[in-house]
Amino acid sequence: MTALLSQKDIRQMTSRWLPASQHNRHFRIHSDTTDFFRIDYGDVVTLGENSYLIRHNAKEGRFGLDDEIKFWVKRAIDLQTGNLKIIKLVFHEKFTSHIGNIEFQCFRSPKKEARILDLVADHDNFMHGYSIEDESGNIVRVIDFIYGKSLHAYIGNLQIDHQTYFYDLFPEILENFMECVEAVGFLHAHGEKHGDIRRDHIYLDRDNQKYRWIDFDFNYWQKENIYSYDLFGLGNILIFLVGMGDVLIQNLKKKNPHALNALSEEDLNIVFNNRVANLKKIYPYLPESLNRILMHFSKGAKWYYENTIQLLNDLGEVKNM
Amino acid sequence: MTNERLLFNKNILVAVDESESGRRAVSYVGQILGGMTGFKIIILNVIHEPDEDYFQESLEKEAWLAQHKLKADAMLNDHRQLLIKEGFEPNNIVVRSIILDCPSIADCILTELEKMGCSTIVVGRKGVSRKEEFLFGSVSNKIIHHAHDCTVWVVE
Repeated sequence: MTALLSQKDIRQMTSRWLPASQHNRHFRIHSDTTDFFRIDYGDVVTLGENSYLIRHNAKEGRFGLDDEIKFWVKRAIDLQTGNLKIIKLVFHEKFTSHIGNIEFQCFRSPKKEARILDLVADHDNFMHGYSIEDESGNIVRVIDFIYGKSLHAYIGNLQIDHQTYFYDLFPEILENFMECVEAVGFLHAHGEKHGDIRRDHIYLDRDNQKYRWIDFDFNYWQKENIYSYDLFGLGNILIFLVGMGDVLIQNLKKKNPHALNALSEEDLNIVFNNRVANLKKIYPYLPESLNRILMHFSKGAKWYYENTIQLLNDLGEVKNM
Repeated sequence: MTNERLLFNKNILVAVDESESGRRAVSYVGQILGGMTGFKIIILNVIHEPDEDYFQESLEKEAWLAQHKLKADAMLNDHRQLLIKEGFEPNNIVVRSIILDCPSIADCILTELEKMGCSTIVVGRKGVSRKEEFLFGSVSNKIIHHAHDCTVWVVE
């Protein structure tokens, strides 16, 4: 049931967050979020007993591309608690995605994300929040804002050489990453997949230092192994972490032609053929046991991980060295 | 070493989907065994029921399933005619199309195989790339690796 709030109530509740010049303005109040383009800065969304002051639309950058505005995702203030929230409105989207020449059907599913939010409510390695139906039955997700950087930004901003990184920082990063792998295993054990595993979908929570997965609304038309696409994502992140960034063929041409000459086709990432998977050929001090794991995501792999337990077992051996 | 003679029956399960490789598997069985007596062929099509998340409304899901069932029935009838043309008696051919919500199509096929008690399973190989197999798995490869107490024919 949606709370009926008067303009006076709203003015009182929002006064803390708005400049004095706006205290007496008229607020647009939305209890039906179907047309998310109409919900704008300074509007109020009411969901059940709670009201949220919309601050702005979220943006999503994708590895060097300009930020894309996501009109269905709003930053908002919970007017009861003052906490910052991310409000994800319903946007049904079906599209064909491509990885190289492979096509697959993808779609956004608010139902899936709502289900997973319930499932991971007590799990430290996921974003938290709740879902609620608005007046028109749209499944809206209200997410607690995570203060911190994405793993992508954290690694990308490091200003140290690889060897120092590998010996000083990587052991702790690996430990945290393994928690993330376990967390994905937790989803799989409950018949769910994350669906969009990327390094900018892990946030480093400033408050408790935990690595936390975000964004579970992405889904795809599963084929034989419903978990292999998640494992592919984990492999890409691991290669990125071990290499302190992606080691790209085009960069090696300029910076390390000697290493480039030593590479063969089989040393490259099985899917992204411009990325090196066999990082021991670039950084010879990497332990063989770690490099062997990376090679399971290479073109030369004879065998692929089928589940997170296999990957965790191998990572555990590296950690205990 | 045991001298016990293993017993194999002449029931053959041919697992097909809408792809050309499925038709190739049926055609192979027709050409190799057509006209021989004692064989019973079961052509099985598993319609992989999509996640409930895929549909916004239940009506949409019902329409999807009805459409795919219709398509599957037409395909199975076509396969059945192909076997008859190759010399099989109509009463030795069974066609089955089932809708299942399963995490793995290969696992579903193997469960059905066990239920039907066939000694042989035939699948067509689609020839998915290593990349595709890595990303999404391969039904025929999983059947090869996980089938037990039966013989697997993989038709190229």
